[in-house]
Amino acid sequence: MNIRVINSSKEYNGKEVLHIDELNFKEGYVIALMGLNGSGKTTFLQCVSGLEAFTKGTVLYDNSSSFETVKKDISVMLQRPYLFNSSVIENIIIGLKFRKFSEEKIQERLKHYVSYFDINDLLNKNTRELSGGEQAKVSLLRTAILETQMTFLDEPTASMDIESTLIAEKIIKTMAEGKRSVILVTHDLLQAKRVADYVIFLDKGRIIEQGETQKVLNFPEHKLLRQILRSD
Amino acid sequence: MSFYGEVSGVVFLSLFISVTSTIIASMAGMVLAIPIALKDFRIKKYIIRLAETFMSIPPVLMGLVVYLMLSRKGPLGELGILFTPTAMIIAQSLLVFPIVFGLTVSAIGTRGRKIKKNCVALGAGRRDTLILIIKECRVQLLSVAAAGFGRAISEVGAVMMVGGNIRGETRVMTTYIALETGQGNFNKAITIGVILLLVAFMVNFLLHGLSKIDEK
Repeated sequence: MNIRVINSSKEYNGKEVLHIDELNFKEGYVIALMGLNGSGKTTFLQCVSGLEAFTKGTVLYDNSSSFETVKKDISVMLQRPYLFNSSVIENIIIGLKFRKFSEEKIQERLKHYVSYFDINDLLNKNTRELSGGEQAKVSLLRTAILETQMTFLDEPTASMDIESTLIAEKIIKTMAEGKRSVILVTHDLLQAKRVADYVIFLDKGRIIEQGETQKVLNFPEHKLLRQILRSD
Repeated sequence: MSFYGEVSGVVFLSLFISVTSTIIASMAGMVLAIPIALKDFRIKKYIIRLAETFMSIPPVLMGLVVYLMLSRKGPLGELGILFTPTAMIIAQSLLVFPIVFGLTVSAIGTRGRKIKKNCVALGAGRRDTLILIIKECRVQLLSVAAAGFGRAISEVGAVMMVGGNIRGETRVMTTYIALETGQGNFNKAITIGVILLLVAFMVNFLLHGLSKIDEK
């Protein structure tokens, strides 16, 4: 899916917190959205994914300004996901149920995605019994299982251990196969290097640098990014 | 009519009127309150203030309003339902409605928004989102309904005015207690008072049981 953001901004209480002059998301890419705390990453993700609206500007989804027509092709994993008060299985397949998938298809996908993480013993547990890391795995799986054209992930591995993080990154790469794309919010520079094809760096609600991952992270042009990479 | 026969009739009518009015007010109040709790708009705070004001409206005032509406010269006088259980259900539903509405807006609040955002993030439509919010907040919504029922079962002013406290027709527990106390029949008043307390206890016991089931 092609997403194009044109001269868009977001305001809270009359104060502009995000401004994008122009941005195109390419198909088949994992795009890492990076920046310091409060730089506008989550606001950006929520506005482009349709969870919130830009105060001004235009967002085109496959050259159409109608979000409703592409809604089913977009999925989002929020920064602090809410797991429903039911079993792990129910949580993982809930998006497929919203999309009226057949029981056969649901079982097929469930089997495939559950095999990534070793969570078979958790499947019938209530989500209230899970640890933070386990909850993050369930949240990622319930988004990945939808196999949407565009997936937005807001710090999906923040509470995972290193082993789970590497598995999660493998899943994220599969989410950008073919014409599918992933927008990944992350603070982890190494993760961006491992997973992302393209990096967008935000500061104070504006894009200060963007480009192919190797170029941006190895030869940054902006002063702030150079400082951050040096201290890393 | 024996005392016990009369008491059982009064208890049954009380429960019927209070349960019916709680169901009506809960359905209307929650259906209207949930979308309001989930959205921000200019006059939202005024709607909430209005609901909070009506939450503490004196039952006799509500009784007076319903009485004037249903009396022969009132706009709904032709219906001929004044001094019937129907009039009592209308008055109690109007009393319980703002309580259910106001408490539902508070109960759904932040949690409801979080659930809604997660539902939309996973592609849910409006209907699926609403069902999930109700399901996830069911314990809170049960508490809201219980608070509404508490108001209905304990209320005396409005049902006295629009029901008329007619023996065997519109006499309920609270109006029975008021009448018997006025006549100095304290034993009868205390008996009904104890039954009223037992009913309140049973409702709370039931609610607690449902919450425990939910936790499991």
